[in-house]
Amino acid sequence: MARPSHLKRTVDMQIIADWVEPGARVLDLGCGRGVLLEYLVQTKNVHAVGVDLDFDKISACVRRGLTAYQGDMMSLMRALPENHFDRVICSRTLEELPDPGAIIEQALRIGKTVTVGFVNHGYWKNRAAAFFLGRKPRNAVYTTAWYESRPTNPASIADFEDFCTLRQLKIARRAHLGGDWKNRSSLCPNLLAGYALYDLTR
Amino acid sequence: MNDASSDDDLRSASHAEPGEVGLVEPRDYVSPAPFTFDNGQSIPGFTLRYETYGRLNASRDNAILICHALSGDHHCAGIHSLADKKPGWWNNLIGPGKAVDTNKFFVLCANVIGGCQGSSGPSSTDPRTGRPYGITFPAVTIRDMVRTQKLWLDSLGVQSLYAVIGGSMGGMQVLQWALEYPSFVKRSLAMATTAREGAQAIAFNEVGRQAILQDPEWNHGIYPKNGGPRVGLAIARMMAHITYLSDASMDRKFGRKAVSARHKTAPVTPAEDVSELSMEGIDPVTPTATFDVRFEVESYLRYQGKSFINRFDANSYLYITRALDQFDLAGTHGSLEAAFAPVEAATLVVGFTSDWLFPPDQNRDIALALLRAGKRVSYAELSTDLGHDSFLLESPQLYDLVRGFLN
Repeated sequence: MARPSHLKRTVDMQIIADWVEPGARVLDLGCGRGVLLEYLVQTKNVHAVGVDLDFDKISACVRRGLTAYQGDMMSLMRALPENHFDRVICSRTLEELPDPGAIIEQALRIGKTVTVGFVNHGYWKNRAAAFFLGRKPRNAVYTTAWYESRPTNPASIADFEDFCTLRQLKIARRAHLGGDWKNRSSLCPNLLAGYALYDLTR
Repeated sequence: MNDASSDDDLRSASHAEPGEVGLVEPRDYVSPAPFTFDNGQSIPGFTLRYETYGRLNASRDNAILICHALSGDHHCAGIHSLADKKPGWWNNLIGPGKAVDTNKFFVLCANVIGGCQGSSGPSSTDPRTGRPYGITFPAVTIRDMVRTQKLWLDSLGVQSLYAVIGGSMGGMQVLQWALEYPSFVKRSLAMATTAREGAQAIAFNEVGRQAILQDPEWNHGIYPKNGGPRVGLAIARMMAHITYLSDASMDRKFGRKAVSARHKTAPVTPAEDVSELSMEGIDPVTPTATFDVRFEVESYLRYQGKSFINRFDANSYLYITRALDQFDLAGTHGSLEAAFAPVEAATLVVGFTSDWLFPPDQNRDIALALLRAGKRVSYAELSTDLGHDSFLLESPQLYDLVRGFLN
């Protein structure tokens, strides 16, 4: 599954790397070509496994020396025992998933911690695109018009935190980035943050 | 070849096309020591016929073993003479600069024990009687194939395998290698395979065996070379060949084309004339015109059957299909995870979407069990419509994957 963009990926990658324990067993849901996992292997010496739907992406992971599984992430997780991983990462993939709540709960079964990173659709520019222009947001992250885009299931930071409350998931850590996805932003995150990262536990 | 004389090197170098292994010669490993099979029976010694390409490096750690499928053999790359029409069966994958790069790796492949292409099997002479073993040859398992290959590799001074690669039955050997000799195998690459056959695959093998066993010429396995149950073996091959293809690929290749139309267009196999493609002397009855070959697919299968009986021994077919059917890692070890517990190699499993003999799910199951056992494993699934034989496909995507795994 492609992430929305290859732009501005370093800061969220660094935050995830900060959160990952050295030598941890990590599963990356929607690992793409393995850029994040390779970074985690290099910086934190993790035991990495990726899952993605596309043959060429798996092939790219294998070329990087990573292990990756081609197939549906839900079927993969169902085939694994509880606490098989120290951490399951769902970065830049969440909004393209059908039934993301079920995926997060399944990830929390096979992983002790789940890291979720997603675009905040409550960010004011995204709101403005809808409110003032009456258009689907198009920007550096969402480069394509609606008719050439994959189905997305956009959520805001407020939506996500409501979900965590509803499902009684513990938020162990959170990080909000500004509209540039670079600097930390703490004030009114649902309005001012462009990107959000969460560490969840049961 | 690692131990070829310098003359041989010059010769193969001068004839090698760029990117081709070129001229190769099979060699024999002869074990003078008795070998005891999984079933407890033994033979006084055995031979494995093999080929090698590339050179074993000084640290003896660049060897890649190729494991062949049911009807394959040791000749997986290069040509035996300049007159050869076809190179070895995995020539598209193996060679200088290819995915399995013989400039870097020392590539080896041996005909399996129980086979009939030069390795000891039912058609070999039993030194104790001076006659072919026939069905007195001990039952062969995938593990026996692997254990005999280990003795051969030890004799060559190979200290570890950089990788073991195989498809179908070759993939079963790959799995067995990884759990039997965990520290010896650094990487294992299994394609279009299974950790145990389902009922469907066993059923097909059983029909093949019955075609042979019910042929009166089989005669309890006692028959002369070039004789024996040729009809039975040809029918077994015709049916098995269907299971290696797919509805889509057969339809594309043959559709409902009639043989008479074939002569108006380009023939599929120019060397073979239609009358020759009928089963001639091996036909049990002369077919009436109604049942004579009518569709191209019929003529193709008859050709496959006919060419198979000239290179394969019916008893070997019985033995090896039985080895395939008996292979059951979960059954043998209690569970697939338990079977894979000792594995140290990094594994890559490749399934093919149109493979209905060893379907993608059976390949996935291998990867999932390795994952559950905490092993390093990747699973990739290539979309093809060529059926089980897809692993032999000329596919840049597959080459990239294999190259990426090895480098």
